[in-house]
Amino acid sequence: MPGSPTHLGTVQDVQGATISVALDKDTVSGLAFIDGHGYRIGQIGSFVRISIGFTDLFGVVSQIGAGAVPEALLAAQPYGYRWMKVQLIGEGQRGGRFKRGISQYPTIGDEAHLVTEHDLTRIYGMPDAPNCVKVGSLASAESIPALIDIDRLVTRHSAVVGTTGAGKSTTVANLLVSLSDPTRYPSARVIILDIHGEYHAALSDRATVFRVNADESRGEKPLFIPYWALSFDELLRVTPFRSVGDADRAALAEKVKELRIKSLQKQARNGVTPDTLTVDTPIPFSIHRLWYELYRYVCSTHTVGPGANQSEATEAIEQDSNGQPLLGDIMGVSPPKYRPITSGGANRVFLSGAQLNIRRQILALESLLRDTRYDFLFRPGPWCPTADIQNLDAQPAEDLDTLLRSWVGGDRPITILDLSGVPVSILLDLIGVLIRLLFDALFWARFLPEGGRLRPLLFVLEEAHAYLNTGNDCPASLAARRLVKEGRKYGVGAMIVSQRPAEIDPTILSQCGTMFAMRLANATDRSHVTGTVSDNLEGLFNMLPALRTGEAIIVGEAVQLPLRAMIEAPAKNRQPDSHDPLVYDPSSEGGWNRPKQTEDYPKVVENWRSENPRRTPTSGGTP
Amino acid sequence: MNRTPVSSSNVVSIGYDPGSLTLEVEFTGGSVYQYFDVPEAVYQELMRASSKGQFLHANVKNNYRYTKV
Repeated sequence: MPGSPTHLGTVQDVQGATISVALDKDTVSGLAFIDGHGYRIGQIGSFVRISIGFTDLFGVVSQIGAGAVPEALLAAQPYGYRWMKVQLIGEGQRGGRFKRGISQYPTIGDEAHLVTEHDLTRIYGMPDAPNCVKVGSLASAESIPALIDIDRLVTRHSAVVGTTGAGKSTTVANLLVSLSDPTRYPSARVIILDIHGEYHAALSDRATVFRVNADESRGEKPLFIPYWALSFDELLRVTPFRSVGDADRAALAEKVKELRIKSLQKQARNGVTPDTLTVDTPIPFSIHRLWYELYRYVCSTHTVGPGANQSEATEAIEQDSNGQPLLGDIMGVSPPKYRPITSGGANRVFLSGAQLNIRRQILALESLLRDTRYDFLFRPGPWCPTADIQNLDAQPAEDLDTLLRSWVGGDRPITILDLSGVPVSILLDLIGVLIRLLFDALFWARFLPEGGRLRPLLFVLEEAHAYLNTGNDCPASLAARRLVKEGRKYGVGAMIVSQRPAEIDPTILSQCGTMFAMRLANATDRSHVTGTVSDNLEGLFNMLPALRTGEAIIVGEAVQLPLRAMIEAPAKNRQPDSHDPLVYDPSSEGGWNRPKQTEDYPKVVENWRSENPRRTPTSGGTP
Repeated sequence: MNRTPVSSSNVVSIGYDPGSLTLEVEFTGGSVYQYFDVPEAVYQELMRASSKGQFLHANVKNNYRYTKV
């Protein structure tokens, strides 16, 4: 009925899911008032309802104006009428629920109506559904909450993309605060891989923070990644052995396996026997002993030639003033001292006959093991096995179960693995290791109460473009690819957060069922995002450059239908520590307008040397 | 590894990989040996030496660990 206040115009042209509506001459441009609410007519991204009998079809306005005139009519009416292009997205029985997909199409002359708040409530569902969390409100109607179905959000993966400053971190913080609400979801569990340490502040009371150089006075726990939990390939990648030849590699694998078997013989561990053990089985072995034994094998000198039977008994070890051999110290990473080779004479000293070309790598491993920056990996606290010259090797005090419990079974729903203290050279490898370790743990535990099927885990990958690059075969990319492809079956979900979606492997991005697209100015990024979403909603995505800060287009499985939402900013104390520094600070606390102050550069150097940005002389920090 | 043919009574060809400091020598008779941790200077001296066999015997054999390929 043309008299209805919601009436916009009539359908004139139908092409698949795209329809053209001629706006009615009587339709007032600008505002329409319905039930006391004002609605702007013909807003891009707003919804349109088309009634056909007892069914209502819903669509999104993607284009408006003379350009939306159907091609056939271009010549006849270049301006004249006002037109609107609408993308159909779903339907609902009158008074019933909204469903995605179209069972029947509109035809010429069907009426198009404005969608009122009443209709929107019908589409977007009820705010009290137990599986839905509110992330904000619709940008077009503030009274309607934007609801996210957490079932789909977690297991079907999601991506949050947007330019720096568009509100990504705020969105993620908001989602995580909702997901970790202890009254609604007491068993929620989320792991954040935070490479810049932004989320401590926002989630301090809900999250356990693990960090290299942890500041225990702030409640942080030390991050340990026991090297022996790594697979052989991963171990090679984080040590100087990454580039050894095939023959040397095989010898190393044999050696690592031998050490793992010895350890297992000392202390039996459930689930594995020396016969079923592989070089990748996470059984503790001492990398210090590996280094020491390789050193003695390759770098030693002997009293008999390489052709003769060289053994530890023939080693030409120097002696101290008391006649004791200088055997070095395994945990102190000091090698035994050998006599130099001689070219002749009665006590001729020969080179080792070892046929491995890894001498330089062994020496490099020596300095790596001495490097305190790598202690979280090679001396992982209670998970560090010790080795001793007298063969009094000790097993680590703790096994992997306590490590996993501290990461995914803690008292708090969120675990932040703050990687800001990890040396950059092995960061990519370690991210791969972390994802792989946790995925493996949940994969094998899939039928247990703590496994992923019964208690799904959400992985938040912050700044994902840094390690999930296109065409990059780095371990982080491989692990993340596996996570997004197979994770759904084992209850492991990923949330990928990035400001450069174009740099993320398209395989990974296209597996994300839900997309939170914030403002994106870069055309490459935009086309990348538009290309990976399943809905044919280019019109909606054309708005990306013009979104307000904190505004997101949410499409995909976790929402009933694409929506443009204003994400609620979390409370002041829950905002991530990611806002830009102020160059001009009106409060004059910082910035260039502040009066110059005396600066303590010795402190700068102290923090730098201790690799701890928050080091204070009173707390002592960790050296 | 690519080996360069050399004129010598008992050495057929010599190759060197500066990345892994490996010297590879093919002797007459077909046996190939790799010497490890050989500095590039030694390789260059070897290539300049008038007698490869003598140089190898004096400066390489017994000074570097090796394997038969």
